[in-house]
Amino acid sequence: MEYVALGIALIVALLIALGQAFINDILGFKKRDPLEDYPYECGVPLYDKEARGTFKQGYYILGLLLILFDIEAAYLFPWAVVFKDIGIYGLIEVIVFVGILALGFIYAWRKGALNWEM
Amino acid sequence: MESLLYSLLFTLVKVLIVFLTALGVGAYLTWFERKLAGHIQNRLGPTVVGPFGLLQPIADAIKLATKETVIPRGADKPVYYMAIIMALVPSILLLAVIPWGPGFMVNGKYIEPIIADVNIALLLAFALGSLSVYGTIFSGWASNSKYAFIGSLRKAAVVIAYEVVLGFSVLGVILLAGTFSTVGIVEAQIQKGVWFIVYQPVAFILYLYCMLAESGRVPFDIQEAEAELVTGYNVEYGGMKFGAFPLAEWYVNVIALSAIAVVLFFGGWDGPKILGPLSPYFWFVAKTFALVFFTIWLHWTLPRFQAKDITEIAWKILLPIAILNVIITAVVVYIF
Repeated sequence: MEYVALGIALIVALLIALGQAFINDILGFKKRDPLEDYPYECGVPLYDKEARGTFKQGYYILGLLLILFDIEAAYLFPWAVVFKDIGIYGLIEVIVFVGILALGFIYAWRKGALNWEM
Repeated sequence: MESLLYSLLFTLVKVLIVFLTALGVGAYLTWFERKLAGHIQNRLGPTVVGPFGLLQPIADAIKLATKETVIPRGADKPVYYMAIIMALVPSILLLAVIPWGPGFMVNGKYIEPIIADVNIALLLAFALGSLSVYGTIFSGWASNSKYAFIGSLRKAAVVIAYEVVLGFSVLGVILLAGTFSTVGIVEAQIQKGVWFIVYQPVAFILYLYCMLAESGRVPFDIQEAEAELVTGYNVEYGGMKFGAFPLAEWYVNVIALSAIAVVLFFGGWDGPKILGPLSPYFWFVAKTFALVFFTIWLHWTLPRFQAKDITEIAWKILLPIAILNVIITAVVVYIF
């Protein structure tokens, strides 16, 4: 039943979002202007028509590390819920688990993977 | 059959009340933020429409709703529309797992003031928080504008840094409460008689950083950066389509994440009974609003970091602290 409630909430949220997305197409003016859809640039003509080119973002390796550490966090979530029941075994296991990943983290740090690539 | 239909209808009413109230409050937060920003900067803020400018959000909504649709040439139209939906839906859905008060009995029926009391509520909240970044990425990609494109890539940098810290920062609270359920966490705090911020002050500070980063608030708002990117990823959106982004990111998301912070660290609806049966609701809303106020206050006070500094702070300072916090909490919980 609680998940059905979540489904109802999803439908209502979708309806609200669709309303916001399309209300201008229903209520707005329809008169077109020849240059109104020109992409924003500070008063000069566009240098290239296609904005989606190559771009240096500087966090490629960090993106890879994110996957690793997010999965680590995802493994720790169920552990945290049952921690009181599994006692010393859970504590030692998690120290070993986090310890191994911490070694990897220190390695990445020393290699400079955490630095923003200039 | 009758009772199933009844409970479905009841759920729909609950959903509509919570969502429409949150959107209304979100709209009025624009007025509050402008007023507060005005007074911080020694101005008056909105004063013209209605007393104290109180009708300004309504005037803004009508203006935004009746504007012409302008889609930039070369834009990817399906993704352009999908960005709005991907920005709004996860932010609004976050409100479904927030417990506004304790359950009570009416006519022999137990009623809980929460839309979906699922036992994975926190996991759901963080999943939805991660999903809302797609709104930003899609809008930046679909608009065919360099400014929007750069803004959305900067947002990606912020998110890859703070997702991990967010996950680790709440682990301490889950260790103490032993459950993911938001209702369960609040009840654990009431049972212990202590708010978890007393046990987990470091986790709260980490969570606060992540909350500001996830909702794109100062000092982590490089994806908007008015001075260089002219509000970044949503620069090519107009009318209500533009209104959806700040509403989702700056207002509904901030309200929802503040409410989750209240659940995790400030004892939820716990507080002295000063208003009789209504006091739990009063305390929950008051604590949430205090955090929202704090966020807006920071927004108009601090400068912003560079993208480089934001990611490096998260990976080199916050993440080691968060991991240490989890291990130390686990050891302490085991000993006591």
